[in-house]
Amino acid sequence: MKRFFEKLVEGALLISGSITSITILLIVIFLFKEASGLFNSPVIEDGYVLAFNKDNPVKKLSSYQIKQIFDGAITNWDEVGGKEEPIEVVRLSDLTKYYTEAELGANFENIPAKASELTAKHPGIILFLPNSYIAKNFDGTLLKHETLRPGDFFGGKEWYPTASPSPQYGLLPLLLGTLWVSLGAILLSLPFGIAVAVYLAEISTMRVRNFLKPVIELLAGIPSVVYGFFGLVVIVPFLQKTFQLPVGETGLAGSIVLAIMALPTIITVAEDAMRNVPRAMKEASLALGATQWQTIYRVVIPYAKSGITSAAVLGIGRAIGETMAVLMVTGNAAVIPHTLLEPVRTIPATIAAELGEASAGGGHYQALFALGCILFIITMIISISVEFISSKKYSK
Amino acid sequence: MTSDIRHKKMLTIDAKNVDFYYSEFHALKNINIEVEKNKVVALIGPSGCGKSTFLRLLNRMNDLIDGTRMTGSVLIEGKDIYAPNIHVDELRKEVGMVFQKPNPFPKSIFENVAYGLRVNGIKDKTFIEERVIESIKSAALWNEVKDKLNKSAFALSGGQQQRLCIARALAISPKVLLMDEPASALDPISTSKIEELIYELKKDYTIMIVTHNMQQASRVSDKTAYFYLGEMIEYDDTIKIFTNPTELSTQNYITGRFG
Ligand SMILES: Nc1ncnc2c1ncn2[C@@H]1O[C@H](COP(=O)(O)OP(=O)(O)OP(=O)(O)O)[C@@H](O)[C@H]1O
Ligand SMILES: [Mg+2]
Repeated sequence: MKRFFEKLVEGALLISGSITSITILLIVIFLFKEASGLFNSPVIEDGYVLAFNKDNPVKKLSSYQIKQIFDGAITNWDEVGGKEEPIEVVRLSDLTKYYTEAELGANFENIPAKASELTAKHPGIILFLPNSYIAKNFDGTLLKHETLRPGDFFGGKEWYPTASPSPQYGLLPLLLGTLWVSLGAILLSLPFGIAVAVYLAEISTMRVRNFLKPVIELLAGIPSVVYGFFGLVVIVPFLQKTFQLPVGETGLAGSIVLAIMALPTIITVAEDAMRNVPRAMKEASLALGATQWQTIYRVVIPYAKSGITSAAVLGIGRAIGETMAVLMVTGNAAVIPHTLLEPVRTIPATIAAELGEASAGGGHYQALFALGCILFIITMIISISVEFISSKKYSK
Repeated sequence: MTSDIRHKKMLTIDAKNVDFYYSEFHALKNINIEVEKNKVVALIGPSGCGKSTFLRLLNRMNDLIDGTRMTGSVLIEGKDIYAPNIHVDELRKEVGMVFQKPNPFPKSIFENVAYGLRVNGIKDKTFIEERVIESIKSAALWNEVKDKLNKSAFALSGGQQQRLCIARALAISPKVLLMDEPASALDPISTSKIEELIYELKKDYTIMIVTHNMQQASRVSDKTAYFYLGEMIEYDDTIKIFTNPTELSTQNYITGRFG
């Protein structure tokens, strides 16, 4: 009977364990599957085409080049590998500059013919039209099946998913925003965190510690919106005033809020590591005439090194994945940050802010999933390094 | 005790009317002990009688425990070590300690012995090197470790680690060496090495050693103090304690008839 129960419990544990693992695996697969469509999505908006004169040697344009052409940053075809020829940008609404409304027809029924004619006549033209206005016998080159290249995503310097005609899905501003904010957070929280951990583990009396430790652990449980709110009403105005900034919502504000949020983790883990330093080690040091400070930095901290490193890495992990608080205080400008005093945007904040408005299956949606994959990979690297560091502790 | 002796000669250790409490627990009761220079004193007595507590009073290691309290006075070379102007870390450089369980640092053999010198602010490399080698030699460990000074101290055997801890304590040239059951975790060969060592060290140091081993106490010490339930029952020349103790309790303990 007892054996039977044991078997039953064992079976239940096995089943729940494997179901959980499979679910997690499926989520990861789903993430990557959704993201993988990104490089099959067209560089230009759905339902539209770009057309060139058929004598134009340029047959392909990258997403970023298209954006620059339509922004007026590129004005000559020779800049994108074509002949020396000024670029003439024509959108649907511009057709009225070339043709009268009568010529286009009362219900625009003549647009396909006129568009074809215009493209044939102007060697430097780049025409942006809805699919439906392209005639069967269109006289020109169509850029229709061009898809996003990995370089446009991984090396892209702009994130502008609503840009027309070519949405920009550049990873760099978001990745750098995330890394800057996280790095700033860790640089702020690590010294404070370790200082507090040293204080709690080595200096404070038992009573102070027994009071502070639970309070600090409690801080870890406060929802991040609350930290974000605090950042918004306290830190943001403070930064704006002290640094005379046009806006206080900056990467630094994000770093400070994240640093505060990461502190409880760092303190708790580092303090545990230091308290695990055997009493005999500390006594040996003190008995040799070392002062308490000498004992702390010559014995306690080196002994707890791997634990302190884990604390740092877990803190970074928390900072990198944090969404809400960062979204609230960083200003969310998707530009590559040069200093921490500019607005930045992080990967999680972008996903949270934009997933609602991205149509399922579209390029924007897939780009957001790709961001999710990047985040997943970063956190995976972090947890592997934690694993590596903490396993080293036992092999020494 | 005869107070005229104290005036004639400076004692290395002189504890007077020492009472010690762990919070409410009265662990030492009116202890009086005088130790002359270059003598070895053994502290014996059943487990929990306060031997370690007394030893740790002499280098103020008990300060680290919350809620402890001491009354009475302890003089080391005439200085009251519980006086307010005493720096505890300076005191501990004068009064070295070897613990019951070997506790080397997770550092190299060399760095273990150099530790006390480094925390003393000594930077002179050649001095440190000479002092480390000298201390390892005094601890009778040199032949075993001379080729692996940069190896981790954890790679040594228990007995070697304990001698390393002795070397570590010797490196800062203390005046007094406190040893709390230094051989209790060791095999007979390591134990006899440590006993020989104590005999050698006596020339330069005043030593107080806690031991549960009666033979060891009789072999290494000049004087023996018998503790029982926080009191010092008898303190006399070792030969007297082991051949003709005044107190019955002492006799019962050393003959193993202790109940
Ligand atoms: N940190 C402490 N807090 C409270 N009581 C303690 C503490 N350390 C020791 N004691 C008590 O003080 C008494 C003396 O302890 P001590 O360690 O000095 O004994 P000992 O003679 O060294 O014994 P052993 O031979 O087992 O090492 C014991 O009753 C012990 O329970
Ligand atoms: Mg003891």
